[in-house]
Amino acid sequence: MYPMDAVGGKDKLNRSQTRVVLMRSIRMAGEFRRQALWAMILVTVSTLCTLAGPVLVRHGIDAGIKAKDERVLNFTVVAYLVVTTLAYVVGRAQYVSLNSAGEGFLRILRVKVFAQLQRQSMAFFDREKAGVLVARMTADIESMAELVQWGLMQFLSAFLLLFLAFFLLLSLSWQLTLITLIVFPFLIAASVKFQRESSKAYLEVREKVGANLSALQEGITGVRVIQAYAREDEQIRRFEESNRALFRSHMHSVKVSTWYFGLIEFAGIASSALIIGIGGWLVHRGTVSLGTVVAFVLLLANLFDPVQQLSQLYNTLQSAAAALHKLFGILDATPDVDEVTSPTELPATGDVVVNNITFSYAAGSRPALENVNLTLTAGTRLALVGPTGAGKSTLAKLMARLYDPQSGSVSFGGVDLRQASMEDLRRRIVVIPQEGFLFDGSVRDNLLIAKPTATETELLRALDNIGLRERFEALPEGMDTQVRERGSRLSAGERQLVALSRAALVDPAVLVLDEATSNLDPGTEMLVEAALEKLMIGRSVIVVAHRLSTVQRADKIAVVADARISEIGTHDELIALNGHYALLASTWNKTQPQ
Amino acid sequence: MTEETKGVTREGWLLLIATLRLQVRGLSMGAGVGLAWTLGKVAVPQLTRLAIDKGIEKDGSLIFWTMLILAAATVAGFFAACRRYFAFRESRLTESYLRERLFAQIQGLHVGFHDKAQTGQLMSRSSSDLQQVQGFVVNIPIFVSQITMVLGVVVILFFSDPILAAVSLAPLPFINVSARRFSNKIHPAVLAVQQEQAQLANVVEETVSGVRVIKGFGAEGVQLAKLQTEADDIRRESMKAAYIRSRFLPAIDLLPSLGLVAVLGLGGHRVITGDMTLGGLVAFNTYLTMLIWPMRNIGMTIAFGQRAASALLRVNEILSEEPAIKDPVKPRQLPKAGLAQPTGALRFNNVRFGYDIGHTDVRVLEGLTLEVQPGESVAIVGATGSGKSTITRLLLRFYDPQTGSIELDGIDLRELRLSELRRSVGVVFEDTLLFHDTVSSNIAFAKPGIDSDVVVRAAKLAGAHEFIMQLPEKYDTVLGERGFSLSGGQRQRIAIARAIVADPRVLVLDDATSAVDPTKEHEIRDALATVMRGRTTLVIAHRPATIELADRAVLLDEGVIAASGSHHELLETNEKYREVLAAMATPKVVE
Ligand SMILES: Nc1ncnc2c1ncn2[C@@H]1O[C@H](COP(=O)(O)OP(=O)(O)OP(=O)(O)O)[C@@H](O)[C@H]1O
Ligand SMILES: Nc1ncnc2c1ncn2[C@@H]1O[C@H](COP(=O)(O)OP(=O)(O)OP(=O)(O)O)[C@@H](O)[C@H]1O
Ligand SMILES: [Mg+2]
Ligand SMILES: [Mg+2]
Repeated sequence: MYPMDAVGGKDKLNRSQTRVVLMRSIRMAGEFRRQALWAMILVTVSTLCTLAGPVLVRHGIDAGIKAKDERVLNFTVVAYLVVTTLAYVVGRAQYVSLNSAGEGFLRILRVKVFAQLQRQSMAFFDREKAGVLVARMTADIESMAELVQWGLMQFLSAFLLLFLAFFLLLSLSWQLTLITLIVFPFLIAASVKFQRESSKAYLEVREKVGANLSALQEGITGVRVIQAYAREDEQIRRFEESNRALFRSHMHSVKVSTWYFGLIEFAGIASSALIIGIGGWLVHRGTVSLGTVVAFVLLLANLFDPVQQLSQLYNTLQSAAAALHKLFGILDATPDVDEVTSPTELPATGDVVVNNITFSYAAGSRPALENVNLTLTAGTRLALVGPTGAGKSTLAKLMARLYDPQSGSVSFGGVDLRQASMEDLRRRIVVIPQEGFLFDGSVRDNLLIAKPTATETELLRALDNIGLRERFEALPEGMDTQVRERGSRLSAGERQLVALSRAALVDPAVLVLDEATSNLDPGTEMLVEAALEKLMIGRSVIVVAHRLSTVQRADKIAVVADARISEIGTHDELIALNGHYALLASTWNKTQPQ
Repeated sequence: MTEETKGVTREGWLLLIATLRLQVRGLSMGAGVGLAWTLGKVAVPQLTRLAIDKGIEKDGSLIFWTMLILAAATVAGFFAACRRYFAFRESRLTESYLRERLFAQIQGLHVGFHDKAQTGQLMSRSSSDLQQVQGFVVNIPIFVSQITMVLGVVVILFFSDPILAAVSLAPLPFINVSARRFSNKIHPAVLAVQQEQAQLANVVEETVSGVRVIKGFGAEGVQLAKLQTEADDIRRESMKAAYIRSRFLPAIDLLPSLGLVAVLGLGGHRVITGDMTLGGLVAFNTYLTMLIWPMRNIGMTIAFGQRAASALLRVNEILSEEPAIKDPVKPRQLPKAGLAQPTGALRFNNVRFGYDIGHTDVRVLEGLTLEVQPGESVAIVGATGSGKSTITRLLLRFYDPQTGSIELDGIDLRELRLSELRRSVGVVFEDTLLFHDTVSSNIAFAKPGIDSDVVVRAAKLAGAHEFIMQLPEKYDTVLGERGFSLSGGQRQRIAIARAIVADPRVLVLDDATSAVDPTKEHEIRDALATVMRGRTTLVIAHRPATIELADRAVLLDEGVIAASGSHHELLETNEKYREVLAAMATPKVVE
């Protein structure tokens, strides 16, 4: 997946939210605060240096050139040179300090948000689009990087520049300042209008970019299905639709900004015309000096540039604040499946007891499990069978505490799973999920996800144990074979073998296999199961399976139907009961060779 | 720059020019209005000079000059807006047009290409690479007007005071050089940052999509450690970039100030000695400030152009990739289905095939020959990795066999139009990919916009109708990103319904009932029997119940059809068949 619809139109913050976000960021910056403060000081100094230029020019003209005093002129020139050099030195330091403070902050943010993300429950991951989560960690944080690299600095210096230039102008001549001010209300009104419209347009563009990216992504990841159903034309048509919508929103945002840029260009020159016209008249009357008029004309740029910069930067700042707000939202979300502060240690072995649980994936939706009771005695094997969508996988997931039930409890060795630490729990109970996910990497990398610290010998021994070592080594590049995205380089059964072999690396008390062998041919399945037998010795095992050969070997069988356990017992008991299981067995039996 | 990279860059530039040829008009408009802007802009300091010298100092027609400056302001403002508009319109057009071509190309490229390509890479071709191109094109009109402006201003300055001009302009070329050097230095640094960011995105992506596995094994710590490494790398690379910025940007700011100092010093003395007017000095000063931004920008634009050229090269790599699987020059038509003439005959003639993995000797199919009569259903049985799904892929022409041929109704697949072939073959894949869309759109995938009755009928046949009716929005429920909120078996049934809607000549069910429970399979079996009646069907299955659906079973082993016959015959006569189905070892279930 790809980062998409990061911050969108609905996400604009109001003022108090913005303040909260700001305060919190400052607190979070921690050790980098001093660096940031230092950076601010440097920015101030370099802004002052920038402003000193025109002031010195004015001094040179009035006290030097017009007074025909060469000494003053020379002195001014030297001062100008010094100030310029100072600006250069300070400028260098300012980049470094600002960036190291900012990047430090972003690093903290990345790690914190990711750690918190991983703590979230499965329900959270069901709810959130994967693309959005990736966007939070990437696009949203990167948009802040831009701010860190130059945005904040520019914002600060533009702000300072605007204020200082204003006071400077005022001190030079209040009359001319007043003239300049005539333009300003218009300029500010225009800037505010521009800022509003363009930030709306900008958010719109981002939304369209997100939609375009997801259309693109679907076209790439789904290309095999699309081609198989000869749907390319339709897919291309849809993509073009989203692409044109994107183009239109780009053009809209250009139109919104175009008049503003023209206006700024006009206003900048026009106000210097005013200064010259009215200022010239004032010079004739002797109210102001010619040098002042010249300084005004030169200083004007320092007034217009910042206004323009500020209104553009404001957008960047706002979207950064919105992004931060969202990130803080993740940081604040207490996982629905969370660890207790002082966890109880789980015993080495014990019964798994499912006590009257009810669970639904989303509040208000049909429960996926209802009043389910079940006991898995230590060291025994339980099979879950039942129709599609009955809730078998759901039950398996609850046993591993990927979700918490809305009512009832699951316990291991008498300890409620909610009282145990996650680390402890994952060591005791391991689930091989129905969707065995393979990462883009080698077969070895994919196995090691189960136990990253395992040595090569450990790994090979584990594979030997389940008799799959030769199978993997027979692949063209053996264990180094790159399986590609989602394991697309392997056959369906081979993918399942990799996912299954992960179980051999760990040493849990309870092993949950959710249709872990459904894509294997029965011959391979049998071999694997025989091998798994060894793995299962001394462990409690839950298998979800549709094949009765697998089911039969269990000590106990539970039929899950319609979110409940409808039958439970040994194979013989259930056959005698003549219910769902008996029907299942006979269907299977009828087609089984003698 | 080495000879080789020079050649590559030239190729990139040529490509860029070829791409822009379509937009010559728009871009020239942009450049034209840009020139008008230049005119207005360059006039201002001259007018200011005249206003000061003639208007203020000499008591002349102040109002006249002021009005002229106002007129120049209007011209500059108006044309600046126009230029911006054209620049953005043209650049977005280029981007948009290239992106559409790219997408169409990606959709049409053979599966072998997609096997090797990474999703993230294809995505960045279409996003960040095209952005580079856009970033350059948008600068073209500005570039043109800035060049003319620089030329105009330099001429004016030299005419008004050659010595002062020479001294004060001396630092300017350095701006240009520094800007270019900066741009060239910062580019790899920024790329490095982006690369690290992409790696971090990968960690996040795999963590999010593999979260079940990660949580299942408690591997959160591992992922966090990976992320920390990436976050540290980003920080390190970003700081490298920051150091480059700190080296160049303040220097680029410093250089023009040196020119200004020179103007004040040298020009000031000349005004005192009466060799120059005060207005001239101010104008000089203003012109010099006017040059700063263009000089910087010209340098950067050239560097942008180089980057855009190499981005376009990367894009072009995909655009120029010739699809290995494409429509024949003279396509033949499949015979029409008629009462007298049943259709759907399949024939595999001595097919040899291996995936392109750099080992030519690794073959999956070694001379496979198989004949399927019209309307016949055949179960393909074989061990994991024996090549069953590969047969499916060959039938869809995802790949072509290295030798041998496959015929549908007597016509070699390579002689058929791809769309016709693929409409005639409907496959339920072993791993179900559903699209982020409604249930009914997913089912009607092959025939968008088809009647809802057809959709419902297909869903019923696939045994999906019942649970669909229990979904919150029934047929309008939007399925999750990867269709995750359905159970495994439910997804599979939607995929079966999808194939039924396609109403193909040949139906292929690739392990399509692996997650469907046996009792339900019984029901689906009856439904499938309806669908399969009179339709050629290949069933890939491991379960006897499903295999028995077919008229005949074949055993795929060592890349060839090793045996053929009814399920029971094969069970009795073929050792390997029994082995694959584990038929010997299973104890009979006691009733
Ligand atoms: N992540 C989820 N969010 C919402 N609903 C879900 C989610 N996963 C499953 N469901 C729903 O919960 C019910 C039980 O699903 P579950 O995956 O437990 O079925 P199952 O018995 O394992 O079926 P199968 O044999 O097809 O794997 C189904 O109706 C399914 O649609
Ligand atoms: N895209 C690919 N690139 C390279 N090798 C591949 C690719 N797809 C499959 N293979 C290899 O080709 C062989 C046959 O794969 P195929 O998917 O046809 O097996 P299968 O018979 O369908 O197995 P299963 O029952 O497990 O689905 C396997 O060894 C597999 O590793
Ligand atoms: Mg399931
Ligand atoms: Mg397969």
